[in-house]
Formats: sequence, structure tokens, C-alpha cells
Amino acid sequence: MNSDILNKNKIRVILSLLFALMLAGMISVSVSNEVYAASEITSIEDRIRSVDTGGLSADQFKVEPKSVGFPPFAAPKLKAKDYSKIMGVSSRSIVWVVAQMHLFFAAFVLAVPLFVLVIEWIGAKSGDERYDDMAHECMKISMTAFSITAIFGGLLAFALFILYPQFMGYMMNVFNTQVLVYALLFFAESFFLYLYYYSWYAYRWGNKKWVHLTLGLMLNVVGTTILLLANAWVTFMMAPTGVDDAGAVTGGIWEIMRGPLWNPINLHRFIANIAFGGAVIGAYAAYKFLSATDLKARAHYDWMGYTANFIAILAFLPLPFAGYWLMAEIYAYSQQMGITAMGGILAWLFIVQAVLIGTILLAGNYYLWSGMSRTKGSERYTWMIKYIAMVLVTCFLIWVTPHTLILSASEMKLLGGSHHHLLGPLGIMPAKNIAVNLMLIFTFLSFQLYRRSDKEITVGWAGFGNALMVSIYVVAIVNVIFAGVYYGYFTNTVYKVGSSVAQVVSTLVVIIAGVVIDTYMFKGAKKLPSEWGKVSNRAQYALFALPVAFTWLMALMGYVRSSVRTNWHVYTVMKDNSPDNYIPAIGFAGNMMTIVTVLFLIFVLFIFWVASLSDTKQPKPDFLTGDK
Amino acid sequence: MNMKNPLINWVLAIVIVVAVFYGLNHGVMSMQGLPLNVDLTPVQ
Repeated sequence: MNSDILNKNKIRVILSLLFALMLAGMISVSVSNEVYAASEITSIEDRIRSVDTGGLSADQFKVEPKSVGFPPFAAPKLKAKDYSKIMGVSSRSIVWVVAQMHLFFAAFVLAVPLFVLVIEWIGAKSGDERYDDMAHECMKISMTAFSITAIFGGLLAFALFILYPQFMGYMMNVFNTQVLVYALLFFAESFFLYLYYYSWYAYRWGNKKWVHLTLGLMLNVVGTTILLLANAWVTFMMAPTGVDDAGAVTGGIWEIMRGPLWNPINLHRFIANIAFGGAVIGAYAAYKFLSATDLKARAHYDWMGYTANFIAILAFLPLPFAGYWLMAEIYAYSQQMGITAMGGILAWLFIVQAVLIGTILLAGNYYLWSGMSRTKGSERYTWMIKYIAMVLVTCFLIWVTPHTLILSASEMKLLGGSHHHLLGPLGIMPAKNIAVNLMLIFTFLSFQLYRRSDKEITVGWAGFGNALMVSIYVVAIVNVIFAGVYYGYFTNTVYKVGSSVAQVVSTLVVIIAGVVIDTYMFKGAKKLPSEWGKVSNRAQYALFALPVAFTWLMALMGYVRSSVRTNWHVYTVMKDNSPDNYIPAIGFAGNMMTIVTVLFLIFVLFIFWVASLSDTKQPKPDFLTGDK
Repeated sequence: MNMKNPLINWVLAIVIVVAVFYGLNHGVMSMQGLPLNVDLTPVQ
């Protein structure tokens, strides 16, 4: 009894401490804002003179502050000679590679604790230790990745300060103490990370488990805050707020951070990170599955691979909608920026994006279909797989159909115009919207069939529930096609654009209704036996395909997102006058994306190898044991 | 609700779902300032 009270008191103390830390973090952000707002500039002229003005006088930078208390620090106007160069190598290429590597690893390490916490919580609630072990193993993989993230982060900071000193000087002035808060959060991140990982088995049962889960929660709160702060820099560069036309700060840090693209990027990156993290963990499970020699290990890694694929695909399903919101906000902020992204040189990249997303969906579906062989209950549904495959392939082909072809005069003559009479209509957005929504609906169908494969539903309303689910699929599919064809081709543009929201809602209704109906229908369901570890080796290659496609996709869309700024460091505020101030050609960009993807995958293999090393024990050699 | 009669189940399910999606189309388009007529054609 006394020991229970003692334990409870200890837990209260720990929870209070964590709460106090969280509060301190929130106060520090708030204080940094106030300190920033209250900072008095003793000599504005001195501040302006301290910048390398590129030959221009300080008077030319002088901007009257719109609100008292903020530094009127105009963006410097740079010339080509103001940029450093290392051994003649393009500064942009150096920063490109380092930034992309940092971003890949940051995405991975911020995502893994998010779903690890959920897996651990499921384990704690259900009492199934397999969940707990798997969650711990996922964290083990990400521990090495944390160090690599920090190394690339440091490298990126140095590269930026050496190669783009004036630009970084301007950014530091704009974000001021927010950058310090960002740096301080790394201490908190490391604190919770190490505590969370190393206390795993010390705080495994009973109330201590809840303390451990709280540590995981705090790790995620800090990690997500880091993500949001860093996103603010990116979105400020694309759509600056809180500054005037010359780049002089006119608003508080909150005004600077919450630009029009901040929340769309926050949501998009948050979801995409989870999908990406799931895909990398899936590849780890596949690697371990293929190298495992005993059935127990194969069963464990088969289950781990399934769970990772589940996370990756589930997070991936709403991702196109988050991307849609981001693009809509980009168009709303600047039509020119939107057209640069989707109507100009970068438009073709959305075809490449379609190929990569198609690869992800086909690989994800293939893995689910292969996984259905684990249980005999799947025989009820296997006849549907060929039809799902046909729909996916047809939609994939429509999605990759370009609108405008690069043709010679003779080819154009043969075709009878610049657009093929059949493929022309399939190259525009209404057709692609139908294709992508149907692909998502049918991927969810694969997912739902997989989940139903090992269950025999026993609830009394199963007949009505199934009728309802089938009706939702049929009506949603008809609605997606109707909205795309009718509003897309036979009404005016505003209805065409507006109908895409109705299509998205239809798809979301299928996904949400599917999850809710199944949750209730599975209550009391009879569980059919599943044989983990007997899935085909081929299915594991689908798990390898996912992170490759995800990594390439992130590199591709990162190039698009960054390129829409064209020749601006900070759009409309600070011009890029470096020798690299143009949108890199697609071929060159393709090479860069491939280099960073391959580099990342090499590092990932290294991480897998290091994680495996910790499980390996060298047997004591004979000459040391004395055996002959 | 007769859960045992498959015909009633299917008719009921399809009617409910069609009504929901019909309402959704009107709601989603109206929220964007794009009202629809009863037959789902744009209000001109």
C-alpha cells in the first residue's frame, strides 16, 4: 500500500516536472516574441551600415518602420560578387545536396516517434508485448538517424553561412530570437529522446508505462514544434509576411511565421513525414525478413513490414488532398507562382510525380494482395484483385498522360494538331482528378479487403452494414466520375475547379465510413488463423520500392517548391543575384534528385546495418575459451 | 428495420447513400459560392 502511494507520488512528481517543462517551453516562445518586439535599436543607421550593401549607400536601404519597436532592416540588394564559392563548385548544388539530405533524415526522425508512440500505446492497452517490442525496435533504427540528421543540419548551417552570408544575415535578423528557441528545442528533443529510448525497459509495466508514454508524447510535442518553426523559414521565403516591400520587418514574429503557406506546408509535411517514416521502417522489416533464417524472426519481420506498410499507406491516402490545399493557397497568394509550378516549365514534373505516386500505390496494393495469402479467409475476396488492378493501371495511365507534347512539325502534322484527339482531354485536370481519386478509393478497398480477410463478422446487422459499405463505394465512384466529367468538361472553369473539392469529399467519405463501419462490424468477429512469416519474398521487394519512390518524390517536389521562387531568395523581397539565380533545367535537376536519393539510401542501408549489429554477439573464439 | 431481408437492406442502403452524396454535392459546391439546381446543374 505504502509502496503504491510512493509510486503514485513519484509519478505525480515526474508528470508535474514534464508539465512544468512544457509550460517553460511555451513561455520561452512567448517571451522570445515579446523580447523581439521590445528590442530597441539604439542606432538604426549603424545596423544598416553593418550589412554588406553591395556598393549601395545606407540611405538607399533606409525604410521607415511601420510599427514602433521593430528593426527596420531592409533586405540587402546583392550582386554576383557578394556570393562565395568553394573551388568553383556551384553553391546552390552544395546546399541542394546537404539540405535535401538533412530534410530526408529530419522527416524520418520526426515521424518515427509519432507512430512509435501510437504502437506503444496500443501495446499498453491491449497487453500484447509484440507491439511494445516492435515500437522499441523502430526507435532503435531511428537513433542512428538522429545523429546523422544533426550532422547534416550542422553541415547545412555552415554551408549556408559560408555560401550565402548576406541572405542568412537577413534571415537571422527577421527571425531573430525564434532561431535561438529553435536551437534550444534541440536540447529538449535530445533530452526526451534519450530518456524515452533508454527508459524503455525500466518503465515498461503499470503506471510507469504511462510515464514512459508521457515522455514519448513530450518528444513528439518538441519534435513537431521544431518542424513547425523550420517550416516558417521556408514559407517566409516563398510568401513573406510581416515585412514591407523592401523586406524591412514591420510585424511581430508571429506575423512573420504565420504566412499564407505555413499551415498548408505544416499539414503536408506532417502527413508526408509519417508516410515516409513508415516506408523506411517497412524497408528495414523487408531487409530483416529476407535475411532471417528462422521462422520466428520471419514471422516478426513479416508483421513489422505489414504494420509499416499500413502506416505508410494510411498516411499517404490523405496526402494528395493536403498537396491540393497547398497548391490552392499558392495560387491564392500569387497566380504567377501557381502557374510557374503547374503551367510552365515545372508542369512536366507533375507527370513524373504521377509516375512516382502510381508506383507507390501499385507497390502498396501489391503488398496487400500478397499479404492476403497469410490467411485462408482471403479466398472470399481474391476474385476482386484483378479488377482492382485493372482500375489502378487504367487510372495510372490516365494520370501520366501529358496534355502538351513536345512535337516536331512533321509529328504535329501526322497527329492533326498539337493535341491528340483522344489523349488531349485525358491530359487535363478533370481526367487526372478522376484518376487519382479512383486510385485512392481502390487502394482503400484493397486495404479494407485485407483487414477483412482474417475475420468472420458476427454482428446481427452485418447484411445491412455490407450493403451500406458497397453502396458507399458505388455511389462515391459514380459521383467522382460524374463530377469530373460533367463539371470538368461541360461547365465553366469555376465549377470545374469547385467540383474537385466534391470529388475529394467523396473519397474521404469512403475512407472515413470504411474505417467507422469496420470498427463496429469487427466487434465480436471470429478471428481466422493467419500464418505470419509465410508471405512471398516478392512482396518484400514492394516494401523496398516504397521508400525509393517516396525519397525520389520528396526530392522532386522539393525542387518544384523551391523553384517557384524563381530568381528570388525571398519572393518579391530579396532578389537572388548569384550565378545560379534561375530555375535549374529538368535534366540537371533529375540528376541532382537521383544523387540525393541514392546517397540517402546508402545511409539508410548503413543505419540498417548498425541496427543489426546491436543484435549480433560474436561467440568467444576457441583460443580464448581454451577449447581445442 | 428488417435486417434479415436482403432486398430491403440493399434498397435502404442505396437510398441513404444517394441522399447523403446528393446533399454533399449541394453543400460542398454552395460553400464555395457555386450553387446547384435540383438536377445538379450550375445555377446560372
